[in-house]
Amino acid sequence: MSAPKTVRLTIDGRAVEADAGTNVLRAAEKAGIAIPHFCFHPGLDVEGSCRMCLVEIEGLPKLELACSTVVREGLAVRTTTERVRRARRDVLEFLLAEHPLDCPICDKAGECRLQDYYDLHGRHPGRMLEPRESRAKKVPIGRGLILDRERCVLCTRCVRFLRQVTGTGELGVFERALRSEIGIFDGTPVDNRYAGNLVDICPVGAITSEDFRFRTRAWFLTRRPSICPHCSRGCAVSVESRAGYPLAEGERRVYRIAARENPAVNGFWMCDLGREGRRDIEAGRLSVPLRQGRPDPGLSWTEAAGEAAAAIGRIPAGERGEKTAVVLNGRLTCEELARARASFVDGLGCRNIFFADSRPGRADGPLLTAERTPNLRGAVAAGFSPRLPDLGELAAARVLLVFGSRLAEHHGGPELARALSGGPRTFLFAAHAGPLDGLAEMAVPVAVPAEKSGTYINIDGLAQAFDRSLEPAPGGPAEGAVLEALARGLGLDRGGGDGR
Amino acid sequence: MGSAWTVIKEILRGSAITARHFFVNMTFHTLRLFGLRTARRGAVTVQYPEEAKPLGPRHRSLHRLRPRPDGRPSCVACMLCVTVCPSECLTVEAAEDPDPEVQKVPARFVVDLNRCCFCGLCVEACPVDAIRMDTGEIRLAALDRKALEVRLDKP
Ligand code: SF4
Ligand code: SF4
Ligand code: SF4
Ligand code: FES
Repeated sequence: MSAPKTVRLTIDGRAVEADAGTNVLRAAEKAGIAIPHFCFHPGLDVEGSCRMCLVEIEGLPKLELACSTVVREGLAVRTTTERVRRARRDVLEFLLAEHPLDCPICDKAGECRLQDYYDLHGRHPGRMLEPRESRAKKVPIGRGLILDRERCVLCTRCVRFLRQVTGTGELGVFERALRSEIGIFDGTPVDNRYAGNLVDICPVGAITSEDFRFRTRAWFLTRRPSICPHCSRGCAVSVESRAGYPLAEGERRVYRIAARENPAVNGFWMCDLGREGRRDIEAGRLSVPLRQGRPDPGLSWTEAAGEAAAAIGRIPAGERGEKTAVVLNGRLTCEELARARASFVDGLGCRNIFFADSRPGRADGPLLTAERTPNLRGAVAAGFSPRLPDLGELAAARVLLVFGSRLAEHHGGPELARALSGGPRTFLFAAHAGPLDGLAEMAVPVAVPAEKSGTYINIDGLAQAFDRSLEPAPGGPAEGAVLEALARGLGLDRGGGDGR
Repeated sequence: MGSAWTVIKEILRGSAITARHFFVNMTFHTLRLFGLRTARRGAVTVQYPEEAKPLGPRHRSLHRLRPRPDGRPSCVACMLCVTVCPSECLTVEAAEDPDPEVQKVPARFVVDLNRCCFCGLCVEACPVDAIRMDTGEIRLAALDRKALEVRLDKP
């Protein structure tokens, strides 16, 4: 592929280079000049309906749309002249003339384009004497989305998203002129696994999600980048959480997971399964360490790792590789898998290394893969060939180390109990609670992917590093730290490792 | 010797101040008794708490949520007061209201008087004038801290 041709233009007197074919709005954005806009979205076709992006172009008598003007060699654009400023103010005044101004109860407040632009470009007093048009304020449109027609600015981003990205086209603009409104066709609500993106792309608070509704305000959220661990696409996400005031002291909540831009993987979107991942972080967690199935807050992970290493050490040296079984999972990072390989395969000569992960689902749409693990490619890259253990293989071991709670998804609780009773000494390191907790000699909580850093290799072989986006609960280490402690306990730590 | 003189000097000065107050107050009380110079009053001792002076119109006392005509609080749980509160002492949890014109109401509204510094910023921040500090309740002592966490959404 040849590099795209670049053209040179000036924006506000600044010389700017842009790829041929981009629009003035994107070219300006790249040069650090923000042009306000509602209807333009880089992931969707240009619509040119909101008129917010008007700019002055030398030689043209009227103001032009920055979103639908393609850059040309020698173009001179001005975005700060009095005419442009006036145009912005007037466009905003028209939009706000019909706006309900219910920011206090609107979930978008704090991250709303109308608010931001009014602050930057509006600041006009209200001149409407007539009562505002009243419209439906709480229309369920499917998949937990709520439409507020009073807030809608008719940018049609939502309509275009469903036509151009998912191809499902559930939303449309009905009626004309003042009566135009967004709606679903009779009896066919929005029903696709990418619907959550509508909340992200709606520039105002017209489409909000039931899951987030009224639970906090946008300005309380701490947004940190991470990678979605719910399928093997590895979409870039932003984990939005709050710790401390206004929550109780020491409390932490993840309020939502939103898509982050990554042109190499997910563009601007993510699927609803990934958004649901909020619950994976919040709910069903193993919260206290267990000893023989009974809560034992005094049990630390270091003690459990030490005990597990000692148990392996008690197996006669020649049988260690044979009599130790390890169940890993595809949520471990490449670094953790490499460490596991160094300890168990290279160190102990262990042949019983298995993987237990969520069952595959159905691939759906452009992103969601059938595989529901983020790093099986990483496991292969680390030299493992992931497969599920059968119960006999687990029962034959003298020491069984299990990472993750997914084993119980494949083997029923009672069968597992039968296989493990009287069999191996079992140590469990899992983020989530499950039937396995009661069967292990010691079960200690560990971090979920959002609470650790590392590298995942996605389905296309792309290695992506990510950083911790949430502080782990005290006493909930990343598996990497557990693996490091195990290696130390086994006398295999050759140093130089970084178990984080 | 020098220090004893300092002490005596201060005692005399204190007595002189007390005596001055006594005579000034007595003068005004006497004038008032004869109907003269009524603009200024002599000082009086109020027998608090049996007797209380009226509070000024701009005073700040225990918070309340102004009710709607139907008696429910007019707060819309926007959390602007929570955001502005410098003492971080407000807790608001929102709930859904069936009326689409109302939509958002507080399910729980707690002010923690252990921390509140009575700055009144919450009153200033409220976009719907729901929270006010005009109950006149200034006797806010309690025997345990829990009792100072006051729920405002329930009467
Ligand atoms: S609902 Fe939102 S995204 Fe859709 S047209 Fe209205 S403002 Fe635009
Ligand atoms: S008076 Fe000041 S400190 Fe007290 S609740 Fe209001 S804002 Fe917070
Ligand atoms: S009292 Fe006022 S500022 Fe506080 S949450 Fe209620 S409406 Fe908002
Ligand atoms: S962004 Fe250009 S018209 Fe809407």
